[in-house]
Amino acid sequence: METKETMIRLEGVSKSFPQKGGSIDVLKEIDLRIEKGEIFGIIGMSGAGKSTLVRCINLLERPTGGLVYLDGKELTCLPEKELRRQRQAMGMIFQQFHLLMQRTALENVCFPLEIAGVSKEKARARAVELLELVGLGERLDAHPSQLSGGQKQRVAIARALATEPKVLLCDEATSALDPNTTAGVLRLLKDINERLGITIVVITHEMSVIREICNRVAIIDEGQIAEMGAVEKIFRAPKTKAGRELVYHEGNNKEAIEGPVEHCYRVVFRGGISGEPILGKMMLECNAVANILSGNTRMIEGRVYGQMMIQLPEEKEIREKMLAYLKAREVEVEEVQYV
Amino acid sequence: MFKAGMLAVVGTAFLESIYMTLISTLLTYIIGLPLGLFLIMTDKEGVRPMPVFHQALGILINILRSIPFLILLVTIMPFTKMVVGTVIGPKAAIVALVVSGAPFVARLVESSLKEVEKGVIEAAQSMGASPLQILVKVLLPEAKPSLLIGSAIAVTTILGYSAMAGFVGGGGLGAVAINYGYYRGQRDVMYVMVVLLVVIVQVLQEMGMQIAKKTDQRL
Repeated sequence: METKETMIRLEGVSKSFPQKGGSIDVLKEIDLRIEKGEIFGIIGMSGAGKSTLVRCINLLERPTGGLVYLDGKELTCLPEKELRRQRQAMGMIFQQFHLLMQRTALENVCFPLEIAGVSKEKARARAVELLELVGLGERLDAHPSQLSGGQKQRVAIARALATEPKVLLCDEATSALDPNTTAGVLRLLKDINERLGITIVVITHEMSVIREICNRVAIIDEGQIAEMGAVEKIFRAPKTKAGRELVYHEGNNKEAIEGPVEHCYRVVFRGGISGEPILGKMMLECNAVANILSGNTRMIEGRVYGQMMIQLPEEKEIREKMLAYLKAREVEVEEVQYV
Repeated sequence: MFKAGMLAVVGTAFLESIYMTLISTLLTYIIGLPLGLFLIMTDKEGVRPMPVFHQALGILINILRSIPFLILLVTIMPFTKMVVGTVIGPKAAIVALVVSGAPFVARLVESSLKEVEKGVIEAAQSMGASPLQILVKVLLPEAKPSLLIGSAIAVTTILGYSAMAGFVGGGGLGAVAINYGYYRGQRDVMYVMVVLLVVIVQVLQEMGMQIAKKTDQRL
């Protein structure tokens, strides 16, 4: 197997904020290695420390302890001026876009190039090219107030790519967007990753985002990495409580049932036709009922995405019949020990 | 009511008022704008935190702002004499107007720049922008509409103060209102002065708002 090169490495990164009567530890000894060219997800519930973690990568937040390497170069020891130069190798996009409201889309994309000292004509040419890449070639002279949320995020992506960074950091980049727009922006990120080979770090609280584009994922819980690995693997069998809450309940159900349960299955909908009542038909077909424990599905363009947790009957025969029914449909089924 | 000579007096006073106000505003901004920028930059959440300097500057500004204008005008007379060589007339008034106006403008500028979203500054930092670049390319342009509205407030406030300076021989419309309207009991002259001041304030305020609106791209 080829050994993959490392793009970002965190070694024992800690961050604590001073507070009344002591300090609060937001990150505790985080070790992390992100490979060149991968899309790496960092997921956690709000307050888990993921936003602080991503800011420790480009040192918008200075870690209280630990080392940060970008492409082999340690950043925390650099003087301000050199650090600013290194930051040009890392683009960043935000939940609220943070565009310059008094500048046009084109001028916004030129902005990081002005900072980097690129000549006006060159900056302009590059900005036009990037805005075309993100599908906004027609809106060069629009101001952010005239653009939709998805378009603003596309401008922000173009802006983040302007200095040809090695890394793109995405801090909840799709959390302010509706599902349709989210899908478009995620496709764009994936496309950028494949075409330009840029390493992407995605911070999110939405498991669906991770599932959509990430290769590997780290689950952050209370300032620590609860688990980390290939996305499919974590999805199939989350090992920790934080992992299960995120995978099975999208972090919405903090009161998840504890302890192992029997005959529990997760049904994952990956874009089947929504009009078809699969579970209802299954119960009629098998002449037995299943217990729906929780559900989290949504419709996008007439197709259904999401998952349901169901408990099937004790009788092995009926259970197998039901499973066979489901497996023949446009859904995925897997047995789980926890809900 | 108006004697022939009165018109000339009012005309001169009008020009004096405009002259005092515009020159004072200009000088006030030359001093107040950098002060406001310092306040923002050195704030503990600013781009270049300097807590001790920030606090000292804040206290100085508060002290100057808490002295009533007429008292300040009289108190700084030795200073005024040193700077312009006289303590009466429009020139002398300008000194007092600037000393009083600069701290006010510093606070106006500070509050305008505070309106710029912190996230936008963070985004600029993430691109490797230096504090100076953030100031010149982010804070000032993004706060421009608000700064313009602030300047309309500043210029009208300074006009009001300049009228007060008339009390102590500062010249301008205020002086005419006091000398003819108050001391000589020519009420009609006083009313005319008041109306003139109101009109000037309206015009300046409206101009400021219109320019701010025109240049704002946020809609």
